[in-house]
This record gives sequence, C-alpha cells and structure tokens, in this order.
Amino acid sequence: MKTHRMGAVAIFVAALAVLTGCTNPVTNSEPTVTVTDAWVRAVPDLAEGDMTGVFMTIANSGTEDVYVTGGTDTTGLTETPLEAHEVVADASGEMVMQLAEGGILVPAGGSVQLMPGGFHIMYWNLTKPIAVGDTITLTLNLSDGTTIDVNAIAMTLDGGTEKYVPANGGMEH
Amino acid sequence: MASDTGPHKAISRRDLFFGAGVALGSAAIAASGTAAISNSVLAGKPTAIGTNVEPFFGPNQAGIRTAAQAHGVFAAYTLNDTATVDTVRGVMRVATIEASRLCAGEPGLSDTDPTIATVPARLTITFGFGHGLFDKLGLGSRKPEGFVQLPSFGIDELRPEFSGGDLLIQIGSDDPITLSHAHRHMTRVISSIGNPHYSQRGFARASGSVNPDETPRNLMGFKDGTENPRNDESFDEQVWAGVDSGWFAGGTQLVIRRIAMKLDPWDRLGPGDKEAAFGRQMVSGAPLTGENEFDEPDFGARNPSGLTVIPDFSHIRRAHTGDPTHRFLRRPFNYDDGFAEDGTANVGLIFAAYTTDIERRFLPVQKRLAEFDLLNVWTVPIGSSEFVIPPGVPAGGYIGQQLFDS
Ligand code: HEM
Ligand SMILES: [Cu+2]
Repeated sequence: MKTHRMGAVAIFVAALAVLTGCTNPVTNSEPTVTVTDAWVRAVPDLAEGDMTGVFMTIANSGTEDVYVTGGTDTTGLTETPLEAHEVVADASGEMVMQLAEGGILVPAGGSVQLMPGGFHIMYWNLTKPIAVGDTITLTLNLSDGTTIDVNAIAMTLDGGTEKYVPANGGMEH
Repeated sequence: MASDTGPHKAISRRDLFFGAGVALGSAAIAASGTAAISNSVLAGKPTAIGTNVEPFFGPNQAGIRTAAQAHGVFAAYTLNDTATVDTVRGVMRVATIEASRLCAGEPGLSDTDPTIATVPARLTITFGFGHGLFDKLGLGSRKPEGFVQLPSFGIDELRPEFSGGDLLIQIGSDDPITLSHAHRHMTRVISSIGNPHYSQRGFARASGSVNPDETPRNLMGFKDGTENPRNDESFDEQVWAGVDSGWFAGGTQLVIRRIAMKLDPWDRLGPGDKEAAFGRQMVSGAPLTGENEFDEPDFGARNPSGLTVIPDFSHIRRAHTGDPTHRFLRRPFNYDDGFAEDGTANVGLIFAAYTTDIERRFLPVQKRLAEFDLLNVWTVPIGSSEFVIPPGVPAGGYIGQQLFDS
C-alpha cells in the first residue's frame, strides 16, 4: 500500500514540477513540516484522569509524505513517551482510540488536522494538572528522522473521552 | 494506516487542488494553514456583508464604537465559587484567542462547528467584568472610579434573570447564525469559570436595508441615537477612560437596562402625543424646535400660549441636564420576544450606555428620568446590570491583562 501511494505521489510531483517549472524539488534545507493552531485539553484536576490529547494542524510543504510517529513532553508533565493516536469505530460501532499504526500521515503538499474525535497526540500518566490557559511544550517525532517543537495552549473540552483499546482490554481516555 | 473517512481525515492534495478550486502552489498551502482551507472549503462564497471584518485588537475593545450590527447579544455569566485570579486569567487568555479568531472569520481552536465560523459579518466580541467578578476575586479595590451599582428607582420592576452578572460577553454580528455560534462557542470556552446567567438577544436593522449612516429607529418608531458621540474627541471625552486611569485607561463602563415597551397603549397615541413624549419629530428626528435631525434643541422656546415647545416632561428635555459632562454613548438593541402572558407585545429596548464614569456621568441623567419623564408611562425597566469593559489589547495580549498582571 505504501509503495503504491508513493508511486502516485512521485507521478503527481513530477507533474507539478512540470506545471510550476520547479527545478529543485530534492534539497531540504528549510523545514517543510509546520505546526499551527496547537492546543491541548486542559486537565485542571488529575482526579478526573491523568491523560489528555493535543490537537493541531500539521502542514507539509515538502514533496514526500511524512508521518508523525510520537513525541516527547518537554513541559515536565509526564515521563511517558507521547503517542500518535487515531479514533476509529470498533466492531460494535463505538468510537475508540488507538495507536495510529505507522503514525499520522502528513501528506506531501497537504496538511492534516488533529482534532477531538480524530487524530491526536496522546499524553499518559500526567504528574501535574494542566490549567485552562497554560501553555505546554512538546516535541513531535517525524518519520524522516526530524523533530518539531510545539507550544499548545490548554482549553476546556467536554467529551473527547473515547475508550482506549490497546491490543488487550480497554481503558478510559 | 489512517482511515480516510470521518471528519478528521487528512486533507488530501486532491481536496486542496481540485475540491476547493484553489490553484495554489504547495508552499502557499502550507503557509496559509487552516484559515485558508476552512474559508474556501467550508464557507462557500460569502457575500460582501459576510466577509466584512471588524478588527479585534486595538487600544479599545471592539463592539462599542463599531456601528451597531444587525444582531446583538449580551450574555452574562456567574463566576464559580472556585474561580481565582489565576483561573480567570487563564480563561481570558484562551477566550481572547478564540474571540479574535472568530472575529477574523476563522474557526476557534476548539471549535466544534467550524462550518459556521467563517462568515464574520462584522462580528465583534466584547468582554466585561461585573461587580461580582471584582468582589469574588478580592479585587474590589481595583474597581475603576465611578463604577457603582445603580440604586433602585421607583420606576423599576427589575427581574433577577435580567439583572447583575459577573462576566459579560457582548457579541454583535450582521449574521444571526454567526452570532449564535460565537455565543455558544464562547460559553463553552469560559465554562470552567462561569455558568450562564442571562442571554439577552436584540436586533437593529438588517445590514444593507438602510443607509448605514442613518440613525437607527427603535420599536416606538423614533430615531434613537441622534445625540451621541461621533468623533475621536467626543469618544475620548465621554466613553474611553483617559491615560490617567491606571489599568482602566482605554476601557469604559457599561450600563445595560432592559426596558419593556408598552406598545399596545403607545400605539393608540396620535403622532402629536408621541412627539411630545420624546420632544422630537417622528419622521425627521428633529427636535420640536427645529427642522433637521441634528438641529440643536431650543429648550427655552415657547409657543404663543407660553408653554415650552419641547415639553418639560419630554424624554429629551429630562435627559438633557445641561451639564456637558452628563453625556455618554447609547448603543441599544431592540428585543421582540413575541407575546407576553397577557397577550400584549413583549418587546422593548436593551438599552446600553457606555461611559467613563457611571456615577458622575450616567447616574445624574438616569435619576432625572426616573423622577420624571413622560416616556415612563410606556416604558418599564425590567433588568439592570453594570460592567467594566477593560481596555483593548494588541495581538498577543489578552483582555483583562492590564488588571490581572499589574
Ligand atoms: C425604552 C427606553 C428609551 C427609549 C425608547 C429612548 C429613546 C430616545 C430617543 C428617541 C431619543 C431622541 C433621539 C436621540 O438623541 O437619540 C433619546 C434621547 C436620549 N435618551 Fe433615551 N430612550 C430610552 C431610555 C433612556 C435611558 C434609560 C436613558 C439614560 C438613563 C436615556 C438617555 C437619553 C439621552 C441622554 C438622550 C439625549 C438627550 C439630549 O438630547 O441631550 N434614554 N432617547
Ligand atoms: Cu488517545
């Protein structure tokens, strides 16, 4: 599937290069992946759950697809590595969240929106609350080996509490 | 692999290049971010009215000097007992971001309905702090000078559900869907510190139906807003707190009075009686001593029988104290809530006055009107609130910053 997709991209890129007269599609000195509009669900009280999700828009101006594979908190909120999650319907139709296998796709020349009920960056095992209006910092890991720093502001979100479905058993978001 | 269905699907190149019909280079798409995507894909083709934007950031908050929009809402919230300066500051940070995005025609970050967030239609979102906010946060000593609670007046029949409030979010837009969405979204955004207290919806003329320079009319049929500040000088004098006002400089004080109109008896009056009640002509809005709307009223002029031409009991005679400091901005909305229980018209004015100092500049006028004003026969105040409207902030700041960070 991946090779198939890359093939299509290569053809598309070639076509685009012809259309735009672009002559230098290979060198990659400037970062091509950018994050905007990042926010995190506030957790003012850890008693209500020690986990949260981060949402944002990730754009890729490059010519290669990139995947967000996970990340690291740099705020001092958790030791647990951050995970790239998706929300899908399980066999019974209930929306559950799970690891996005292979990461979250940021298509070449396009963007992906991480939002409640969809893709998100998952924080587990919070050791401190996150108040509304706080800014947290994290680093995302990309499939091309680079990382990207993100500041996310904390906001109230009702809902967005899909059950987590690891390989075995479930757990509240 | 990520699923390609559902609301959170990756926006593919196909959507960007073909779906939206935008012919942009890939770099331009990345730089434009969600705003461009949502504006073009979600909103269809807004008309000029829909795309009009009022700037959110600046030395004063928007929604005051802004020409009145077709629709307005005054939403008041009660602060939770657990609210502190820190939690309110945090919420105001987020609320400022969300409000500024909506006013620019971009969905809020946590917007659950981005499809209806991209037609700003002159959307303004204005924040106000009531007595309760200052008192509950232990900031009573930081209330600006003259920010007093109105005493109760003999004419008042105040209802608690239209009075008071700790936090105000005033929203105006020429599009009622935009207004409703902004109202709901902002209510969600501040929900960690405040619970809904009231939401007073009002309206003026539809955008484009009359010349925007025309003085609006209220539901009694009269031009309402003739004697109002109109230039920088009069706004600085009457509305915006001066540079010597500490954290409050650039802010203003708001009095909201919900005033029911007894339109059924009013309708039975002839034009002459109606004009006598206001002291102005119905059609032109001119004072009874003049010909044109903006002619100075001559309160001393008498008719052959020796009575003043502008009756002593008329609204403008009573509202005009003669003291030049007793002036303020009136920016009301009309309301029409159908029929009252007794079958009469449940309509009136959401009267909103903006002043540098409620006690010294507004109260003397309100006192005189409460004592004596023929208009009181057909009008009944049923709600009353006061709010401090903090100064505006530049982009990157947050509303309330001057108070909470000093
Ligand atoms: C339902 C209630 C009210 C209605 C329908 C109403 C309507 C009007 C109208 C038609 C005018 C003349 C045109 C103009 O200058 O705008 C006027 C003037 C005025 N009104 Fe009212 N008004 C109401 C309540 C109030 C209240 C509660 C206040 C203040 C406490 C107030 C203060 C004034 C002032 C200061 C003027 C200008 C007087 C001047 O010529 O110097 N009004 N109002
Ligand atoms: Cu998750």
